[in-house]
Amino acid sequence: MKYYECNLHALPDGSDSPSRMALAAKKLGYSGIIISNHSSAGEASGIDAAGLVRGIEVAIGVEIVAADQRALHARAASLRDRADFLAVHGGDERINRAACEDPNVDMLAHPHGGRTGIGVAAAKAAKDNQVAICLDLGSMINLRGGSRVRWMEMVRRDLDLIDKFDLRLMISTSPRSHLDLRSPRDLVALASLLGVERELALEALAFPGSILELNRRRWASVGVEVL
Amino acid sequence: MRSWLPVLRERRRYFAIEVEAEGRVKRTDLAAEIRAAQTSLFGDLGAARNRLRVISFDGRFGILRHSHERKEECRALLATVHSVGGVRAAIRVRGVSGTIKAATEKYIPQSTLQPDENVRRVDSGLVSGSVMRVHGREIDLCPDDSKMTEGSGTRYVGLTSFDLCGEDTDADGTSDGL
Repeated sequence: MKYYECNLHALPDGSDSPSRMALAAKKLGYSGIIISNHSSAGEASGIDAAGLVRGIEVAIGVEIVAADQRALHARAASLRDRADFLAVHGGDERINRAACEDPNVDMLAHPHGGRTGIGVAAAKAAKDNQVAICLDLGSMINLRGGSRVRWMEMVRRDLDLIDKFDLRLMISTSPRSHLDLRSPRDLVALASLLGVERELALEALAFPGSILELNRRRWASVGVEVL
Repeated sequence: MRSWLPVLRERRRYFAIEVEAEGRVKRTDLAAEIRAAQTSLFGDLGAARNRLRVISFDGRFGILRHSHERKEECRALLATVHSVGGVRAAIRVRGVSGTIKAATEKYIPQSTLQPDENVRRVDSGLVSGSVMRVHGREIDLCPDDSKMTEGSGTRYVGLTSFDLCGEDTDADGTSDGL
């Protein structure tokens, strides 16, 4: 299977250039990376150089940062044609819900950054609109003690929801530098501690690839493809 | 070591690791950081089951011992280490083996002279690697592919500057051909 790191932040959002990220990810065994800088931080620079790194696919996406639901829907609609991959900067309860209700959105990133997770209503909407939920293991790596315990409780509850509604899962560490990257096997091991089975975790790591493939085809309208 | 009944012997596995860091990493700091990460993730009870120990560490590569039943747990806890001794770092597991010997031979580079960061890279059609020594027109090259020197008993590939001149893509973009 081809594994993807789906939520990388490169310069100026993170501290590494796209090509450095690509090299590091290739060394760890990824087949592709998706550089999705926060829309508030600006587009990544030096994308061309990353294309020179052989043996790894570098795709460009965006992680939409929005203050409210309306801004989110407007941003998603305007960016849909320009980016191969649309993520939403989650965490806030209303934003999580709005992201799940928007069919333009591919993935809800780190929904467990705030006090609540996704919840039942948002999970139902995510199922209808085919929005994938990203399990952000960066929190598990960087947090310690009480805050990690709260994060784990939240994730455990939402993994049940994901299982119940059969939502699509993606796994990432939201790296901002090559030192935040972890190999696919490490991520599988971390996810298994949270109760995600090995097969499901591997599928989650490979899933961004099929989303990219879908997004790169030219769609005239819903269900109509330009050949 | 005290003898133990063979059937009750606890089996072990060895991680060959590489530590990627922004600064110098000491063995004691690494051991302390791993212990802290382990206690934080599994508590004392889990730590006792993991039986994770630092066997050797030279600043970059190292060998860790752990219980063979707890491989995935140990891998996960090594992944949660994000800094060592106050320096941003990441532990990469290069491989797992049943003996120290196999782990060292398979996953730890044996060359005592690591190609360090300042040496120049050569990527020509003939060979790719890092330049270790330049003397006049003679060039000693540490090849990326260790099989290139197999059978000769040497560590480096001997080249001259003539081999590298005239290539379209010269070394690292410089035009002096070394």
